[in-house]
Amino acid sequence: MDRPIASSASGRLRWRAGMSEKMLVMLICSFLIAFSLICLFPFWLMVVNSFAADKSLAIDGYAAWPSSFTLESYRFLLQGKQIFTSYGVTASATAAGTAAGVAITALFAYVLANPKNRYRGFLSFMTYAPMIFGSGLVGFYLLVVRWLHLKDTWWALVLPYLMNPFFAFIFVSFYRSLPYELNESATVDGANEWVIFFKIIRPVSTPVIATIGLFYALQYWNDWWLSLLFIDHSDLYPLQLLLRQLMSQMQLSSLNHGGNVLTLPPAEGVKLATVCLTIGPIIFAYPLVQKYFVKGLTLGSVKG
Amino acid sequence: MKRLAKDFARNRHLYAMAVPGIVFLVVFSYIPLAGHILAFKNFQIGRGIWGSEWAGLNNFRFFFSSRDWMPVTLNTLYLNAMFIVFEMAFALLIAIFLNEIRLRWFKRTIQSVVFLPYFISWIVVGYMTFILFNNSDGLLNHALLRVGLRAVDWYQTPWVWPIILTLVRIWKSAGYLSIILLAAIAGLSTDYYESARLDGASRLQQMRHITLPLLKPQIIILVLLGVGRIFYGDFGMIYGIVGDNGILFPTTDVIDTYSYRALRQLGDFSMSSAIVLYQSVMGLIAVVAFNGIVRRIDPDSRLF
Repeated sequence: MDRPIASSASGRLRWRAGMSEKMLVMLICSFLIAFSLICLFPFWLMVVNSFAADKSLAIDGYAAWPSSFTLESYRFLLQGKQIFTSYGVTASATAAGTAAGVAITALFAYVLANPKNRYRGFLSFMTYAPMIFGSGLVGFYLLVVRWLHLKDTWWALVLPYLMNPFFAFIFVSFYRSLPYELNESATVDGANEWVIFFKIIRPVSTPVIATIGLFYALQYWNDWWLSLLFIDHSDLYPLQLLLRQLMSQMQLSSLNHGGNVLTLPPAEGVKLATVCLTIGPIIFAYPLVQKYFVKGLTLGSVKG
Repeated sequence: MKRLAKDFARNRHLYAMAVPGIVFLVVFSYIPLAGHILAFKNFQIGRGIWGSEWAGLNNFRFFFSSRDWMPVTLNTLYLNAMFIVFEMAFALLIAIFLNEIRLRWFKRTIQSVVFLPYFISWIVVGYMTFILFNNSDGLLNHALLRVGLRAVDWYQTPWVWPIILTLVRIWKSAGYLSIILLAAIAGLSTDYYESARLDGASRLQQMRHITLPLLKPQIIILVLLGVGRIFYGDFGMIYGIVGDNGILFPTTDVIDTYSYRALRQLGDFSMSSAIVLYQSVMGLIAVVAFNGIVRRIDPDSRLF
């Protein structure tokens, strides 16, 4: 008599365990889906309301589904010159900064990682010390404005970010993972370091170069700190600063000086359309480049 | 001396590769340190750093006797603490939950979606926040009105902002952190899980008793990295969301936004330098403390 009872009890137990397991999976899935929807929702609001007619915005505010649609905001925006100017500034600063930044950082990190360099320890220390003891806002500001005379120049948007010590150390940990024999055999063959770097090291470093390049590109594209500090002239507004100026109640008409043709007062739709055009390239590139970021994050953080 | 010269001659190509990086560090990280001198001077822009009169500790005396330094310091610490704790809590939930998902496409989709907000600039995030919370057109207030509640003037209500900022922070960075954690989980040995399953451990038990304890080193390092930078407010975030809205300063103004305003809006270079130097010193103390703790827990991850 004992046996059947015991087995049915354990059977019920197993059944219950199976149920709670399923419940758990359901719970996990709903949490993840809910969080994902929350992540997406603000993007949706931006995009859909950039197509909302002004009167719909005036009545319903920002709605998940506006009552009437129009392309007016985009038409207005694309008729003006400012958006193209700003796109040009952001795109050129991003392209130049990324290319130069990756080159400088990759080379510098190669020297940091190279055992032939007898000053590795010292150089590494000099590289991360500023990360710990900030060099200071005022000194930085005076440097760019008073000593380098870069205020209201395109260079102020590019030069200060050319080498990020954190990215340099990601490169270093990558180079260290390469077999040193690569370098040694080439040295024996009498190749100098430039040849070794460009012929041997660079080709095997393509994944990390891509990753760091994307990090630089993202940093340049999204930056508004430099332009906030150094750019007053609307001909040099990058997209992010343009957005900020639109948001901070500044009249669109004040963008007019310098021959830009945004003449009407700011409509909400125009701001939203500017946002969409600003994040557009990121959103479109995102599916393609996402995996490189994941790779870079795991490379940089797990190894420290 | 001779050996030095010989080493330089032999490795001249190698050292040459570091020159752009070194120039960058000297110009953008080390020369600005001179700006800290202004903290002890009465800076007049016409007379330059060296020509201005010494002011002793007057700038510090002024800052520490002002009503601002305590709230600004406390806000910085308090907001950063909130960010560190809640970001990590959500990132852990997401990572551990994602790890339980067996459907590859589902897992990958969720991962991409929660990572997306990381790619958006704080200016855009600030605008998204405005769309949700603003007084007249905000989505939240419209929703409140629709269910018969009173609209809240969020942008005039300082006490809610630490909460809103924390939520925004979770939205933007939890996904990014969860990817770092997920990579760490992927590196864990599957043996633990197999033997746990053999012992009849449920999924929940596996999460609590295997995944979480094994992630502890990663969690500690990530949290401590945040603690090491606890005196540095996130300027981009706070200024991007709050901007110059003085009503919210009592709960949102951090050292970085405060020193920025001292510099750019008041033009008080000396005062700003004093604040930045104070911040650097406190930050240094935090990092040294951080390093001491890491040295105890996990000597391999220490900075120095």
